[in-house]
Amino acid sequence: MARPLHIGRGFFPGFAAFLLAVGVSGCANFDAVKKFATLSSNAANHAAVTRDYIAALDRRKQYQPPEFHAELDAQRTRREAQQASLDVFQQTMVGYMQGLGGLTTGEIRAYDKSLKDLGASLNKATLLTSDEKEAVAALSTLLARGVTAVYRRNEIKKLIQDGNQPLQDIIKATRKIVMRGIYADLQVESTLVSRYYDNFMLAPDNPPEPVAMALAREAKAEALGRIDSRIKGAQAYDAVLEKLAQGHQYLHEHRDRIGNNELNEQFSPYIDELRYAYRSLLEITR
Amino acid sequence: MDKLNPDDAFELGNQFRDAAIALGDWRISHRASLTKAQWDEIDQQEIRLLNTASGIYTSAIGLVLLDSEVAVVHLQSSLKAARSAVQRIATLKQALDLASALILFAAAVSSGNAAAIPAAILAVNDATIAIVQRQGSDGT
Repeated sequence: MARPLHIGRGFFPGFAAFLLAVGVSGCANFDAVKKFATLSSNAANHAAVTRDYIAALDRRKQYQPPEFHAELDAQRTRREAQQASLDVFQQTMVGYMQGLGGLTTGEIRAYDKSLKDLGASLNKATLLTSDEKEAVAALSTLLARGVTAVYRRNEIKKLIQDGNQPLQDIIKATRKIVMRGIYADLQVESTLVSRYYDNFMLAPDNPPEPVAMALAREAKAEALGRIDSRIKGAQAYDAVLEKLAQGHQYLHEHRDRIGNNELNEQFSPYIDELRYAYRSLLEITR
Repeated sequence: MDKLNPDDAFELGNQFRDAAIALGDWRISHRASLTKAQWDEIDQQEIRLLNTASGIYTSAIGLVLLDSEVAVVHLQSSLKAARSAVQRIATLKQALDLASALILFAAAVSSGNAAAIPAAILAVNDATIAIVQRQGSDGT
C-alpha cells in the first residue's frame, strides 16, 4: 500500500534559496513601464497633424487668386507623397510603445489559467498532505511567475537598450518636422490670411463701408483663430513628444532597475508630465 | 557645392516667409502713396514669396524624412524582436507548466521511493535555471 509522501524538509528552503539565487522575487513590478508605454502609444498617435499638413494647401486656395492654384496643387501632391513616410514615423513610435507595453503584460492571463490547472491537479494528488499541497502549489506558482518575470524583465531591458537611440532619433526628427516645418508653415498660412483680409479692408480705392469692414474684421479674427488653434496643436504635440523622449531616456538610463518599486516611484513624475502634455493636446485638438 | 541640409532649408524657408511679411508691412504702411496696380503687384509678390517659403518647408521635411530612414529601420527591428519575445513567453509558459507537472508527478508517483524525489526536483530546477540564464545572456 502506498504511503503518503513527505517531501524532505530540506527541499523547501532549498527551493526558496533557488528562487533567490536566480533573482526571482516573483513580484517584479512593471506597472510604471506599462503605464508609460500605454500612454505613449496613445499620445504619439496624432494623425491629424499630417492630414492637416496636406489639407493646408486646399485651405489656402480661398486666400489666393486662381493663378496660384496650380502651384498649390503641385505642392499638395508633393506633400501627399510624403504622407506614407510621415505616417511611418508615428506608426513606428506607436508600435514600439505597444511592443514595450506587451512585454510588461506578456501572456499573463493565459499563464494564470495554467496556474489554476495546477491547483486542480494538486487537489487530485491524494497522496500529498494538505500542507504539502499548499506548499507545492505556492512554490510552483512562485517559480513560474518568477521565471516569467525575469524573462520579461530581461526582454524589456533589451528592448529599451536597443530601441532608445533610434526612438530618440525618430522623435527628434518628428519634432523638427512639426516645429520647424509644420508650425512654420502654419505661420505662412496666418500671413496669407492676414493679407487677404487686409487687402479687402485697406486696398487703395476700396470704398470705406463700415458694415463690410466690421464683417471683414470678424472673419479675419475667426480665420486667424482657427490657424492659431492648429499652431497650438502642433506645439502641444511637440510637448508630448518631448516628454515621451525624456521618459524613455530615463528608463534607458535606469534599465537595470526595471521592475524595481523604487524605480517605479522615481519614474512616476515622468508619466505625470507625459499625461499632462497629452491632456493638453487633447483639449486643444478636440 | 554641398547639398542643402534640413536645418539650412528650414532657415531658408523662414527667410522667404520673413521677407514676405516685411514686404506686406511696407505695402500697408505706404498704402497712401501706392496706386491700386502697384498695391496688387506687391501683393502678388508676397503670395509668391509665401508659397515659395511653404514649398521650401515641404522640401526640408522631405530631407528630414530621408535622413531618418535608418532610425526607423533600427527601431522597427527592435520592435520585431520585442514582438517575438512576447510570443516566446508562451513557449516559456509551456516549459514552466511541464516543470510544475513534473513536481506533482514526482510527488505522487514516488510515494514508494521518496529518495528519488529530490533528484527529480533538482532536475526541474536545473532546467529552469538554464532557461533563466539563457534568457539573461540573450537579453542583457
